[in-house]
Amino acid sequence: MSGWRFIRGLGIVTVVAFLLVCFTPLPNLLNRWTGVSAQLQPAAAIVVLGGGTEGVGVLSTSSLRRTVHGITLFQRGFAPLLALSGPASQPPGRGEAEVRAELARLFGVSPAAIVTETTARTTRAEAACMAALLHPKGVSKILLVTGYAHMARARRLFEKVGFTVQPAPVDDLSEASKPEARWGLMRPLAQEFLARTYYRVAGYL
Amino acid sequence: MESVFVLVVVGLTSAGAYVLGTAGLGFSRSGIRLALGKTCECVGLMLVFGVLNLAVATCTILAMRSVSGRFVSLYIASDTTFLMLSWLQALTFQAWREGSHQRHTSESRDSKLLHREP
Repeated sequence: MSGWRFIRGLGIVTVVAFLLVCFTPLPNLLNRWTGVSAQLQPAAAIVVLGGGTEGVGVLSTSSLRRTVHGITLFQRGFAPLLALSGPASQPPGRGEAEVRAELARLFGVSPAAIVTETTARTTRAEAACMAALLHPKGVSKILLVTGYAHMARARRLFEKVGFTVQPAPVDDLSEASKPEARWGLMRPLAQEFLARTYYRVAGYL
Repeated sequence: MESVFVLVVVGLTSAGAYVLGTAGLGFSRSGIRLALGKTCECVGLMLVFGVLNLAVATCTILAMRSVSGRFVSLYIASDTTFLMLSWLQALTFQAWREGSHQRHTSESRDSKLLHREP
């Protein structure tokens, strides 16, 4: 019987948490608390982290936003090199990094200024692969482009492999004002919380 | 503004359902307290199933990675369909529990009646 009382208590806590998330600015406060603000300064390269695809050759919304932000920073002259990450697709076809590179070329970025990394599938692997790719080119100071919630973990991993990181998040301090948007904001926050916990437990951070 | 709108609409339909239940369908007024308790139990069960699904999914993915050597993304474990399926699991489990409890109660009542017969 006390077990069911505990489950009922869990239910009350869940309902209260749901109402707080959807009908108060709590997700915005959590987002601001866990995220990293932009520090835009000239660097040796702009590194755009992978955001996933939705089918072969179709960038996810997150990936597209990151790519456009990276291209915009490049066009504004923040760095002479644009490094685009994204694994090759399964089944074989145009991978994320290749699609991003094509988009960058369409936006007028010189092919000589584009570097692609197509093997890494995790943030940790992206840091290691980018280090192997960019350190030989003399790149140590980078502008890192990724999601606002993802930035703290990504920044730490890139610093661990020897980069000096200037954060350039795509969705700086997004203020969700509608219940659905607040609920939507909680998903990447919860995902990132679990990812950070996993990385800490595994000793990656 | 949107938040207030959503809350007002849900408040109106809830009040309508309360009036229909008490005046039209003859539900007891005190029963609403019991119903809210049962709803909270169901939500709590959903959370339990949700955490269980997340834990099993994470362990399975990590095991698949180490056994097969192939990369499987941990983001699969955070698929939103898990939330909906956890809700269905909770509803089914709660209905099963209620049904078993009612059956157990009616069986013990029948048994008592049988023992009373001369």
